[in-house]
Amino acid sequence: MASPGGQGGGALSTRGGGGARRMKWALELSMGNTRSRGDRQGGQGDVVYPIGFSEKPVPDTSIQETDKNLVEKRCWDVALGPLKQIPMNLFIMYMSGNTISIFPIMMVCMMAWRPIQALMSMSATFKLLESSSQQWLQGLVYLVGNLLGSALAIYKCQSMGLLPTHSSDWLAFIGPPERMEIMGGGMVL
Amino acid sequence: MAKLILMCLKFMVLCSTVEAVFEDQVGKFDWRQQYVGKVRFSHFDTHLQSSKKVLLATENNVFASLNTRTGELLWRHVDKIGPEGNIDALLQHGQDALLVVGDGRLLRSWEINVGGLNWEIVLDSGSFQSACLIGQQDIVKHVAVLKKTVISLHYLSNGHQKWIENLPESDTVDYQAVYSGGNGDVYALGVVPHSHIAIVVYSLEDGEIIKQISVEAPWLSNIQASCAVIGQGMLTCVDSATVSLYMLDLDAQSEMTQIPLQSLGLDVTPGFQPVLVSTQPNPAQPPLSEFFLQLGPEHHLLLQLNDGQIVTLRDFKPAMLVSFATTGEKTVAAVMSPKNMTACTINLFSAESGRRLLDTTLIFNMDPNVGKPEKLYVQAFLKKDDSVGYRVMVQTEDHTLTFIQQPGRVMWTREEALSDVVTMEMVDLPLTGTQAELEGEFGKKADGLFSMVLKRLSSQLILLQAWIGHLWKLFYDARKPRSQVKNDVTIENLSRDEFNLQKMMVMVTASGKLFGIDSKTGSILWRHYLENIPSNAAFKLMVQRNTAHFPHPPQCTLLIKDKDTGLATLHVFNPIFGKKSHITPPAMPQPILQSLMLPVMDQDYAKVLLLVDDQYKVSAFPSTKNVLQQLQEMASSIFFYLVDSSQGRLSGYRLRTDLSTELIWEVVVPTEVQRIVSVKGKRPNEHVHSQGRVMGDRSVLYKYLNPNLLAVVTESTDLHQERSFVGILLIDGVTGRIIHEAVQRKAKGPVHVVHSENWVVYEYWSTKSRRNEFSVIELYEGMELYNSTVFSSLDRPHAPQVLQQSYIFPSSISTMEATLTEKGITSRHLLIGLPSGGILSLPKMFLDPRRPEIVTEQSREENLIPYAPELLIRSEWFINYNQTVTRVRGIYTAPSGLESTCLVVAYGLDIYQTRVYPSKQFDVLKDDYDYMLISSVLFALFFATMISKRLAEVKLLNRAWR
Repeated sequence: MASPGGQGGGALSTRGGGGARRMKWALELSMGNTRSRGDRQGGQGDVVYPIGFSEKPVPDTSIQETDKNLVEKRCWDVALGPLKQIPMNLFIMYMSGNTISIFPIMMVCMMAWRPIQALMSMSATFKLLESSSQQWLQGLVYLVGNLLGSALAIYKCQSMGLLPTHSSDWLAFIGPPERMEIMGGGMVL
Repeated sequence: MAKLILMCLKFMVLCSTVEAVFEDQVGKFDWRQQYVGKVRFSHFDTHLQSSKKVLLATENNVFASLNTRTGELLWRHVDKIGPEGNIDALLQHGQDALLVVGDGRLLRSWEINVGGLNWEIVLDSGSFQSACLIGQQDIVKHVAVLKKTVISLHYLSNGHQKWIENLPESDTVDYQAVYSGGNGDVYALGVVPHSHIAIVVYSLEDGEIIKQISVEAPWLSNIQASCAVIGQGMLTCVDSATVSLYMLDLDAQSEMTQIPLQSLGLDVTPGFQPVLVSTQPNPAQPPLSEFFLQLGPEHHLLLQLNDGQIVTLRDFKPAMLVSFATTGEKTVAAVMSPKNMTACTINLFSAESGRRLLDTTLIFNMDPNVGKPEKLYVQAFLKKDDSVGYRVMVQTEDHTLTFIQQPGRVMWTREEALSDVVTMEMVDLPLTGTQAELEGEFGKKADGLFSMVLKRLSSQLILLQAWIGHLWKLFYDARKPRSQVKNDVTIENLSRDEFNLQKMMVMVTASGKLFGIDSKTGSILWRHYLENIPSNAAFKLMVQRNTAHFPHPPQCTLLIKDKDTGLATLHVFNPIFGKKSHITPPAMPQPILQSLMLPVMDQDYAKVLLLVDDQYKVSAFPSTKNVLQQLQEMASSIFFYLVDSSQGRLSGYRLRTDLSTELIWEVVVPTEVQRIVSVKGKRPNEHVHSQGRVMGDRSVLYKYLNPNLLAVVTESTDLHQERSFVGILLIDGVTGRIIHEAVQRKAKGPVHVVHSENWVVYEYWSTKSRRNEFSVIELYEGMELYNSTVFSSLDRPHAPQVLQQSYIFPSSISTMEATLTEKGITSRHLLIGLPSGGILSLPKMFLDPRRPEIVTEQSREENLIPYAPELLIRSEWFINYNQTVTRVRGIYTAPSGLESTCLVVAYGLDIYQTRVYPSKQFDVLKDDYDYMLISSVLFALFFATMISKRLAEVKLLNRAWR
């Protein structure tokens, strides 16, 4: 909660408190902000802004430069995330083995579900990457990473024998053949 | 190695299903009925007044005792099948019953109270003629056994032989009867046909011949058929040629006196052989001087021998059956005479005077489904006022025993025809009347809106009426005490249950009596006696229409063929009610060779039955225009095969459009080398769910499922143990192509075969190793299906792969059948009837030619049990636990509505019905499923969620207020 945005919110509420200072009493609903409490205490008299205080925020050009780099880095992080997961997945795959029991199945389900989920929310991710200059490359890397993840899951399913790739998996759907001739008879009674 | 064996054992224990009944399941869905067969000899236990026993010796070689109050078996001894166990004579004295068994091979004495064997001795060889109890001075101590060449005397107490004597001139004289009047002499009576009677008198003490007489009797051929000893040793014979009685005093005379029957004012019905019936109540006393003379089928006379003169005491006309009975010192004669078409009366007469005893009339209602009375057994007893009371046991033509008390109350009946079931079918029960009514409404063709509405209203009304009736019945029954409310199954309240587990068993017996038996309780719901069935008839029972076509009644057809003339008749009946159908079966002037049921239906949903006559012409039943048209259209695809085992010929025919046939193939098995024993096709109602088997590498081995495949079993005519063999031929019934041929050398029958799906299992006796062996043949198409949509025998270019394996079985078997389920998903078991009376359910998994000798990863994946030559019999595989089924002749299996369940009926001397679950009851909750616990937990959880939801709400509100 100690983020700069939260601080700013506290400052805004202080100003609100300043605006309501002519009231006999006020109920402060936003709690836990020590600064606002201090303001209230200091707000008994008229508030005098210190010298050099400006109500308009001052744009900081030097910080913007590094921000851009940060955003770029952050976007690459997002894009490379699925690829980074793969070694981890490989390790889990190796550990869980090929037997069909509840834990390997849960693992496989998770492994399969995460890339699919990511692919489904692709547009949201693109929005996230909008600010980056290498948006399309990052998007591609993200897509490839997820596809690799799902391929890995499919490979796992395959090695566990969960994919209907053999003729035996379709055996149940073969109906009995229709009989062309009618035959009967037996020993002479 | 030990590790491997241990692993195999573990594997087997884990893989195989365990299926024994629990103790509390005994009798829950199985029942057994025990029978004895057609009665040959019967004696009431008379040595005690209060005795409740009747002894029966039957033609099925069974010696049994029944409780006369209930008709239940007290005990039963089943001897060997065939002439070896044949019961030749039954004599009773006091607590002992003497039995001569196996054409005079054995003499046995039984204790009749508990049925224990007192003693048994082996008699000298020679064919048995007659046996008789010998008494002296009112004490009976000996039994005489007359054989072809010797006469022997045995002690009753221990069976030891007192003396044995050769009969004089036994090569010319045919000794037929033995008699003793209680005076210390034993008379052996023989005859030289159409010449003279030879009488040899032996001394009881040492077997010395006292006297030997020969009396001229040129008219006599058989003593037992036409003679009897009456009074003080007076041998009386009747001759139909001269129509007269001949009498001979065994002690004094040497010439027979002739008394023409006309001098007594009597005459014989033309063509009837007169019969004499005498009685000897006590073996230590001479026979009574009163006797019956039967002069016609319904004409009896009670005569008395008085100082050498014959006096007619009473003339019974009409009288069907007569019988003497003795209680205490009194001897009475019971006479059965017809009253009207449906009833007979039985009256008791004093034997001494021929007077009718008062208040002794008994009415025997003749059921049209029972046949004519054949024998009368009378149990006489003294009442408190010293008058004679009696009960009778009537044996009728259909082997039924009926026990009747005065004045005609039937105490029990035993359907002994059921000891000889020939064939059977199980038919689904109809839906309840109301359900059927609704179904019928939708089954009919639509004819206008208004009439449909009317129909709907009327059927709703009927439903309402049935419901009110049901409520009324409930209300009415509730007022009665609980014990009186009967829960009997009757024909009226028969209805199909939820899972179609209750069916109607239609049984055809050798005596020509048909039975409808409820499969759930075993109660006989209907019976129908077919008269004039030849004794060697062949039966074939077919279900033409089942219960699924509501407005039309179900229909069964029984083909009865007389093997002598070859002529056949059809009996068409309703299998639920047993009533003969009003449909007239076609007249069949030609001998019939075989019949064939087509899956084609006529417009009334009855399947078409084709009958093939000896000219190889085909007639259809029913033969309506519609049917003939359908037959013409499909004639080219209808084939049939005939197997003539006497000529060793298998031949296949194709139907032509004009209902004549053409021979298309013929296979001849040379009869001088081998003979065809049996031919097994597949059951038409068999379903195979899976078309192949999954291998360890997850590929598929497809089954060769040829519906036209026949398994032909042959046995060699040479029975020498080095040269005998058993052959099995797999032939396509349409094309005659031999698919596979296997010969088992040094093997002997009887061979039992089961043919199903893509496998054939057969059992034989290996003369080389002296053991019973099972062999299984499985057929596979290979890794690819040739044609997965249609199967035509005419288009099969590839021969199937054949796998075979054999096993050792520790017991001989009586019969074998495979389980059958609705969809064929459940795994198969073999039901094996053992001579010991057990029915074994052997998983087919153990008879699998793919069982590997060396276990591999793949075979383990496939769940194959490693090959072991021995098949073990595990006691939990006996589906009939301790309910022994004696002499199993056949096992019938039928699918039920549940896929897991197969209904099984084993029949032989006994009938046993049960259910089997080859893959356990995977579709049914267990019997001991805890409904209470589950529902209480459910409710508890439901209430817990309600309460916790409420609590959570309160807590949230409280927190909001804080």
